[in-house]
Amino acid sequence: MLSDNPIGRVVATELKPSTPHQFHFWTARESPIGIGAIVRVEENGRVVYGVVTDGFAYSDLVTPMHAVIGADGDPVAAGTEGTIRAEIRLFTAAVLRQMPEEPLQPVPLGSVWLASDADVVLALRMDAYTRGERATGIPVGLYAGGGSEAPVYLDCDFLLGPEAAHLNITGVSGLATKTSAVEFLLSSIFQTFPAHKGSVAAVCFNVKGPDLCFLDQPASLSGEDLRQYARLGLRPEPFENVRYYAPLKPDGVNLNSLRTNEALAGNTEPLVWGLREVLDYAEVVLNRDDIDAKADAFIDFLAERVVGREYVDEMLRTKSFHVQSFADLDEFFRAIFDFMEAMGRGAEVWRTHHVATIRKVRNRLSNISTRSKGLVTDDGVSNDLPWGRLEDRSVHVVDVAGLDPLAQDLVFARVVSKLREHLERRDLGVDHVVVFVDELNKYAPADGPDTYVRKMLLDLSERGRYLGLVLFSAQQFRSQVQRRVVGNAGTGIYGRMDMDELAMPAYTTLSAATKIKLATLPKGELMLRHPHFTQPIFVKFPRPAVLNSREGIERFPPAAELPFADAVARQMRALDRRVSADAVRTLIDGRREEDVRRALAATRRERPVDVYSFFTACLGRRVPGEVSAARRGVPALKRVDDSYGG
Amino acid sequence: MNFEAMRRAVRLKGLASATAVPDASSGRLEEASIRPARLTEGPALRTIAFGSPECWPEAVAYLDGVQRSEIIGYAGSAPLFVAELAAAVRERRNRRLQTIVEARRTVVLARPAALAAAGEAVASLEAIPLPDTDPAHPLRDLLNAGEALDQARGALEILVGCRYRAQRDSWLVVDGTLSVSRQWSEDGRMVAVSKSHSILPFDGADLEQYLHLPCGHRSSVFAPVTRSLAPVRAWGLRLWPWEGKDLLYGLVRVEVAPCNGSTEQADAISRWIMADRAPVSAPDRRWDRLLYGMYSVEQYLKARP
Repeated sequence: MLSDNPIGRVVATELKPSTPHQFHFWTARESPIGIGAIVRVEENGRVVYGVVTDGFAYSDLVTPMHAVIGADGDPVAAGTEGTIRAEIRLFTAAVLRQMPEEPLQPVPLGSVWLASDADVVLALRMDAYTRGERATGIPVGLYAGGGSEAPVYLDCDFLLGPEAAHLNITGVSGLATKTSAVEFLLSSIFQTFPAHKGSVAAVCFNVKGPDLCFLDQPASLSGEDLRQYARLGLRPEPFENVRYYAPLKPDGVNLNSLRTNEALAGNTEPLVWGLREVLDYAEVVLNRDDIDAKADAFIDFLAERVVGREYVDEMLRTKSFHVQSFADLDEFFRAIFDFMEAMGRGAEVWRTHHVATIRKVRNRLSNISTRSKGLVTDDGVSNDLPWGRLEDRSVHVVDVAGLDPLAQDLVFARVVSKLREHLERRDLGVDHVVVFVDELNKYAPADGPDTYVRKMLLDLSERGRYLGLVLFSAQQFRSQVQRRVVGNAGTGIYGRMDMDELAMPAYTTLSAATKIKLATLPKGELMLRHPHFTQPIFVKFPRPAVLNSREGIERFPPAAELPFADAVARQMRALDRRVSADAVRTLIDGRREEDVRRALAATRRERPVDVYSFFTACLGRRVPGEVSAARRGVPALKRVDDSYGG
Repeated sequence: MNFEAMRRAVRLKGLASATAVPDASSGRLEEASIRPARLTEGPALRTIAFGSPECWPEAVAYLDGVQRSEIIGYAGSAPLFVAELAAAVRERRNRRLQTIVEARRTVVLARPAALAAAGEAVASLEAIPLPDTDPAHPLRDLLNAGEALDQARGALEILVGCRYRAQRDSWLVVDGTLSVSRQWSEDGRMVAVSKSHSILPFDGADLEQYLHLPCGHRSSVFAPVTRSLAPVRAWGLRLWPWEGKDLLYGLVRVEVAPCNGSTEQADAISRWIMADRAPVSAPDRRWDRLLYGMYSVEQYLKARP
């Protein structure tokens, strides 16, 4: 409960003077002040807001020896003295704001009050963006200090651009920091993003387990959570418009995801890419040693002259090439190699490309189709995110948890690049997109090779805000991420952190007490940096209103991997619940799996009104099997005039 | 010179070795004397073990005063002093001390002629005239000012003590003596603890026994011969072992009203005071005899601007 009485008073000595950025104050022993508390100092019309960064307590005991003497060396007696020594609670506070701001002077030696709600607004400069018709505040949590509790807002101009942008979250795993904070913040953004700022959507990469697999499912929240939602003015609801994309398993029909429970199939669809989608990002699948001008030139040649076009080279064959799929491409490569073999020794160059370069490119491209079978299809039919049709307040989760790291890089590079392309053309469907990437240290490591993905993330962090392309990233150890990527994040969130990580040079600006607090933060609390806040602020946030991964897996256990026919039937029923699984099984019985996959992909892409009929049509007429009679060998001719015959 | 060797030699002769006379144990050296007291507890002086320390059974308050003076100038050869006097009572409840009563005075001390010469420069201060029967002498006037200040501080302490007693009836421990006030010397809930031993109550073998009290022992109760207003009862009490330090180390004289002079009451009060040894009042150099409650009052008064 806040009182009108001051809770302390600023003190300044020669050794601990007040400065324009820091001051010290003492309080009563029972004061509710703690690390992170916001306080107000008032003196002669000057108001200074500060946040407590360190605390000290000591008594008038000069040397421990006197305590030993006083207790006759008996530790039991040490706590039973008739009088408790005079002691001090001395706090150090960092200045958040001075009013008036000029002239900037040392903090006056005035009384200290606990900050009220109104003080918190002023201290964090939230008055500039949470008031008026064009307010841009996004609730991020509750500041709780000294018995008070005040909502804290981020400025969406500085969170989603254009002034600053991006968010980075650091924290050890499993303590409700990274994923929960992003889920809560995204929900807050979706509910409070101001209309005058336009539309917003989110694309999340689920990189491990079932972390983001249940964003559309409601959680059961405690009364305290609900109270916090009410205090923040938010509705405790799951996301309404969520679509999931997961690659298929190598069988081409079962989803490579933990979100395979039939009850969740309605908004879960396969992510399948063909040759064109991969070729555009071939640089991702080539390692540093592969990247040279010759390989680049040949890939450009394939992309511009061969893939998706009619290509005629009568030296290779008279019939033109129609390269649409990896299978077509392999046929094209075979034709080149056949031609060069036919030319004999000395024929090592085809159309200025050396055979070694051609072989290298072929190997790398076929490698991705092998290692990422399920994501990359041989038959050329792709299923992708709805580029150009992203809806306001929609969430698109790309589940790459089950993919090979190379394929994860490919997915990441392509999705972000497509977002960028569409945002540049302003035809994505929304004005702002939040891209959430966990395990950023894997994609943009501080050390290691300068990969395509890292360069792309750097570019996104440096220039994305102008486009409305915003990176929300997370990692356990911020120090292991490329400095410029995290450095460009205007907003930083820190959950419970490892002390070893806190010992890194990047955290030297934090006081020892703040580090200890960070190392022991309870679930649901975090430290926040934001351009408007001159010092880090601790806030707590309610549990996200979506099912967490553990509960989600318990309530919606993944379906067992099904036989081919059953998996096809389930996907058909996901498209249209009226379709009979038995009818699908009967329909595809005896068909070639490649044909069934192709028909299923076409149906998925087309989403026809009559799913079953369309699928049947795509399958085509069943060609009855023929029983071929055993061939009899051609008998040798008997020539009577052959003197050797007989 | 190897002082330690000399101390060892003294010990070998059966004497008590010592290192330093504790601060403030001497009081005013010019008053150092022996005023034989009358024993009221038994026919002969004894060394009494009063038992284990015990906390005061209820709230207890501590009264003390401080003074600070500076010379501010001369009128001819007569000095002018300005002094700040303060006294307070801090009461201990639930092991914590809190100030209940305090009073402050700022005074100017000088010969009347010097006060007149200073005129309005010191007009806002309360004036305490120094005796002017002798010709002005800076050092004599300094001694006179010290005596006058002691009296003024004593009066201030009596004032705050009476104010406290008007509000509360808790035990009140004062620094010094009860015999400066008739009211105090009759107060059955007051105890004086004196660090000063300029006036000793015994001589000869009794004095030696008195000064050799072991730690945790007291002397028999006696009635000091007082020049002041009222009779009290007193006894010596050793708070800390003196061996290897000084005969006066850790030795205090406890004064109570006559009604508290029984053996039982002297033992009980001794146990309470003994419990007040901790926390020690270091870094004050008198910590061997200065109770923490008193130290707290002094610190409080000195800290206030």
